[in-house]
Amino acid sequence: MGRYVLKRLGYMCVTFYVVITLTFLSMKLLPGTPFQNPKLSPVQINQLKHYYGLDQPVAVQYVKYLWNLLHGDMGGSFQFGNESVSTLLMAKFPVSMDLGLEAIILGTIFGILLGIIAGLHRGKVLDWGTMVFSVLGISIPSFIFAGVLQYFLGVYVQLFPVAGWNGPSSHVLPVISLAVGVLAEVALFMRTEMVEVINQDYIVTAQAKGLSRAAIVYKHAIRNALIPVVTILGPLTAAIITGSLVIESIFGIPGIGSQYVSSITTNDYPMIMGTTELYAGLFILSIFVVDILYGIIDPRIRVSGGRA
Amino acid sequence: MSKLLEINDLHVQFNLIGRRVQAVRGVSLDLNVGETLAIVGESGSGKSVTSKAIMGLIPNPPGEIAKGSISFEGKDLVQYSEKQMQKIRGKEISMIFQDPMTALNPTMKIGKQIMESLIKHQGMSKHDARERAIELLKLVGIPKPEKRVDEYPHQFSGGMRQRVVIAIALACNPKILIADEPTTALDVTIQAQILDLMRDLQKKTGTAIILITHDLGVVANIAQRVAVMYGGKIVETGTLDELFYHPKHPYTWGLLASMPKLHAKTDKLLAIPGTPPDLSDPPKGCPFAARCPHAMNVCTTHMPEYTELSATQKAACWLLDERAPKVAPPETIGVGGTNND
Repeated sequence: MGRYVLKRLGYMCVTFYVVITLTFLSMKLLPGTPFQNPKLSPVQINQLKHYYGLDQPVAVQYVKYLWNLLHGDMGGSFQFGNESVSTLLMAKFPVSMDLGLEAIILGTIFGILLGIIAGLHRGKVLDWGTMVFSVLGISIPSFIFAGVLQYFLGVYVQLFPVAGWNGPSSHVLPVISLAVGVLAEVALFMRTEMVEVINQDYIVTAQAKGLSRAAIVYKHAIRNALIPVVTILGPLTAAIITGSLVIESIFGIPGIGSQYVSSITTNDYPMIMGTTELYAGLFILSIFVVDILYGIIDPRIRVSGGRA
Repeated sequence: MSKLLEINDLHVQFNLIGRRVQAVRGVSLDLNVGETLAIVGESGSGKSVTSKAIMGLIPNPPGEIAKGSISFEGKDLVQYSEKQMQKIRGKEISMIFQDPMTALNPTMKIGKQIMESLIKHQGMSKHDARERAIELLKLVGIPKPEKRVDEYPHQFSGGMRQRVVIAIALACNPKILIADEPTTALDVTIQAQILDLMRDLQKKTGTAIILITHDLGVVANIAQRVAVMYGGKIVETGTLDELFYHPKHPYTWGLLASMPKLHAKTDKLLAIPGTPPDLSDPPKGCPFAARCPHAMNVCTTHMPEYTELSATQKAACWLLDERAPKVAPPETIGVGGTNND
């Protein structure tokens, strides 16, 4: 197991490095400069460029950036008066993480439950209902849901605040909007797995033992159906991360998302790099965690990873 | 000998969209305490459905037991509710399946899979059930059971898994063990081991076995009585010797003739030409008539009654009617060529 984890960590570092490089190069392809204030004269702009080292060749900037990053220095933000990027990220990140985690947990738990119920009632009304809901949930973008929820539950019924991020009730609408997609996808996937598992021979074996239906579902079906579902949690995390950018701006949530968008529009290079690194790091980490989880749930993986 | 199980005029049908498949059409069977009965027939003859009906495992819908009774120790299992059947399954009657590679839950330790029925039916504590599971693994010939009890199915070979499946089935000392093609998915050498094991265990435990198979070699190995099924009906039944040495039904002849023989003069494999009847539209007469080399007009229009040939043997064939021409079984039925003991 140790060797397996080490190998995976190595791959993670390579992936992370590739992400940094690609982001750095594509960022340099963006038109415009960070210094767009019309009051600045060309001379002043050149001075600023020199100050930040932007007049040097891209290759030199790249190596310098990597060097600084290795020493834990993400640079200073252009748009926020040279304040350190890591400080800025850490200030806003907890809010985004809160939103993302709540949405993932809510979506996964209810998605799994819904999938189990649908799978057990294959071909019946419950199953069809779940499938229709899931297809809608996957195909309708989260910002539409956000709008609909804001209008009905926020403006019309006035049950929850329309925007903001203070107190539990303000979490309800953004978390639901973000969770719907996850919920739908997990439910659909779980249902398919459930239907497949229920038809497996070992379920008949369990029946032949005289176990009750509940015991068969709980002890034999769910765990086996969960294994493939765990694999989609990685990509879903990515979906949540990108989805949260939109949701944050719709609900006026002071998270990393709005800061990310503004850093791109203002060519705030260090900020773009820092935020991308954070997102990429989270994503890579979530895939890693999913793989480890996979090994814990499925004994077949555990052994091939451990003894091979 | 007392009757442990009596199946009377069992009809099982599957109501599919637009058609009704009559998988079992009037099967009557009985099973004595401690004996081994083989049900033989090709795919689609209704043998597996019959065994599932005994276990109460016919999926409903689409399946249903339309008629008949399955009397176990005098109680009719057809009338039992699902809850009542759960107390029979695994405790009084248990079952082992064809493919040991898929019959075990891949994510549950072997020991736990054995312990489940012990805890459920015998109210054992976890600790006692575990001890018993180790005992059972030893009984079915798995080396180092104390260690293997904590392993997962993928750590076992096919033959070993089938031993585990047998251990699960025998956990609660059932009175009847239904074995649905227990050796079909195994290597030939392993097949013999599993059959030996089943014979040994039967001696030790006195469990009656219903063996579902299409392999007459397996039948010759462990069965005392044989029922031959075709088209959802039992066409002939008798003791092992009667069926192998004095078969009366042309389908039984065909089955025996199609067994490959070691010392055969030709290198051709004999097969019964044709395919089994479509049971969504079952023939009015004898189901085998369309493939029977000796079929007469009456065969396609009327189902023959059983003719009692001895106290133990009976067959349903018009050839046994006194008005029918005398037909001798083909010479290709050479029992001596099989490696039965």
